[in-house]
Amino acid sequence: MSGDTDRNGEPDVTATGRPDGGLTDVGRVTNRESATAGPTVLDRVRTELAELTVLDLAVYALYVTAIAFFVFPVLWVASASLRPAGELFSYPFRLVPGEVSLSAYRQVFRAGMVSWLFNSTLVTIFGVSSILAVSVPAAYAFSRFEFTGRRGLLGVVLLFQMISPVIIIVPLYTVMSSLGLLRTRAGLILLYVGIQTPFSIWLLKGYFDTIPRELDYAARIDGCNRLQTLRHVLLRPVAPGIAVVAIFNTVLTWSEFVLAFTVLGSESRLHTISIGIYKFQGQYGNDWRAIAAASVIGMLPLVVVFLGLQRYFVKGLVEGSLKGQ
Amino acid sequence: MSTADTAAERLLERASDVIRRLLDHPLLWLAPALLALAVFQLYPMAEAILMSLTNESLIRPSFEFVGLEQYVRLASDPQFWEMIRITAIYAFFSVVLHVLLGLVLALAIDYGVRRGLRGHLTTRVSVLLAWIVPGIIIGLVWKVMLVESQFGAVNHFLGVLGIGPVPFRSDPTLALISTIIAGTWRGTAFTMIMIYGGLQRVPQRLYEAARVDGAGRWDRFRHVTLPQLKPVLFITTVLVTIYALNTFDLIFALTGGGPGRATQVLALFMYQEAFQDYALGRGAAIAVVMLVANLLLTGVYLYAFDVGDEI
Repeated sequence: MSGDTDRNGEPDVTATGRPDGGLTDVGRVTNRESATAGPTVLDRVRTELAELTVLDLAVYALYVTAIAFFVFPVLWVASASLRPAGELFSYPFRLVPGEVSLSAYRQVFRAGMVSWLFNSTLVTIFGVSSILAVSVPAAYAFSRFEFTGRRGLLGVVLLFQMISPVIIIVPLYTVMSSLGLLRTRAGLILLYVGIQTPFSIWLLKGYFDTIPRELDYAARIDGCNRLQTLRHVLLRPVAPGIAVVAIFNTVLTWSEFVLAFTVLGSESRLHTISIGIYKFQGQYGNDWRAIAAASVIGMLPLVVVFLGLQRYFVKGLVEGSLKGQ
Repeated sequence: MSTADTAAERLLERASDVIRRLLDHPLLWLAPALLALAVFQLYPMAEAILMSLTNESLIRPSFEFVGLEQYVRLASDPQFWEMIRITAIYAFFSVVLHVLLGLVLALAIDYGVRRGLRGHLTTRVSVLLAWIVPGIIIGLVWKVMLVESQFGAVNHFLGVLGIGPVPFRSDPTLALISTIIAGTWRGTAFTMIMIYGGLQRVPQRLYEAARVDGAGRWDRFRHVTLPQLKPVLFITTVLVTIYALNTFDLIFALTGGGPGRATQVLALFMYQEAFQDYALGRGAAIAVVMLVANLLLTGVYLYAFDVGDEI
């Protein structure tokens, strides 16, 4: 939300810097601040309506279409999951079911949903903390040390970030069993550390680079070693970056399927949410209500986390991908 | 007492000195990350390459090195080329839709922010919402959306219009279109955010200059926005292409590669060869093909950064 407030915080630039359509509709009141200062709500609505251009209307239409396209499937699935057994969608269409039934959810919970949620939570918490524990020091080193091969090593890290983990699933079974990690949560967590560290290092290094080195020098003079400097001086300014990396890895770890399926797929008591739901839908073939209910439970935790923290996602997406050397 | 104390103190001092010196070397800081990368990325990749040179199988206990035979057989297998074709179609249309939709949405949101229109935040959040839904669940969500009965939303509404039911997942062409739409539904958030970020970096004075020169809205878009966005568009396109080429979970859940093999992209083909037909060596050869494709595109991506720096 505040991603937008940031922008709205500079209304003068918005109004005068780029008055879109300034040439086409001359004389239009462009300064929104003066409009909002109007006396009554009705007046304000009236001025706003009067100010609408054709392009505004087109953009509004696009907003509505986009919201419908992106949100509707989720709503439809949620709605489907709440219908009583056997009830089809009635004509005329109603998104809110006339009669709500939780029987589909009961079915999913009986199939082991609690255990899937537990496993996913465990893997996500330990996975994300391990990823941070490994990538924060590495990012610090890439930002604060000058050593031969630094650029080359950074290039290797970037390369690993670009290569899809899907590629390693064929040898993964052999690799994990030779390491004694097959069918263990620890194995999956360590695998996630290996897979997601490059992106995390890359993003965190960017944050470290923005902190002036004078802070390090000052801490050094005060007698701090590097670890103390990191802990007591740098950790606070780099905290937003750590938050972004944590959120990102939470989403990726919670959602990940193919690696988890390969490592844990044959051990049903270790199934994570993605594996559990995939197997569940294999069993319940055409029971769409049950599949819908399973989907809702699987995405709900992420949706809640996301709605609270979405502006950090935006940061992470842009900064993780658009960083030159 | 004092001698013991000073000995302990000296030991402590020595220890802290050693620690300090260790901490002053980057190796200690990098070691855990490098170890994780080596064990869980490099080792499996090397293993994949080695495996691709064997006839290893899940159902035979022994195997031998066969050199490049797997690759030769792959290249002469019409099925492989069919997978390449399907992957190319999937990737091409996905990428075009991702970039177009992302561009339009980014422009609309940027416009809304500047004009103070309502709903730009809701739009952005809605698009991003689709992106965080786990891939397997996206497959299932769209499966439910496209069910070939009244339970599927799309057929429900087509039914209201007197059309259908349309076999979205059992007709080969429609199934492929369905996977492309589901993939676009998920990935547009990424292109939208990247392009929106790019729009924020276009210097405002360029627009002012263009306006002084009498350029209309379209001209400003065509001659200011688009050229300024070029590096971002390029990088975004490359990244989306990489993601599209490696798509797995979504298609795995939505169509499982079917009907027949109509939606079997490379990653699914690899999976099937390795784990359903038990031909690990052959699966590994496909993995290597994918690896090479990834590396090539990464090369293009790095090149894009150079291009970006020049501009």
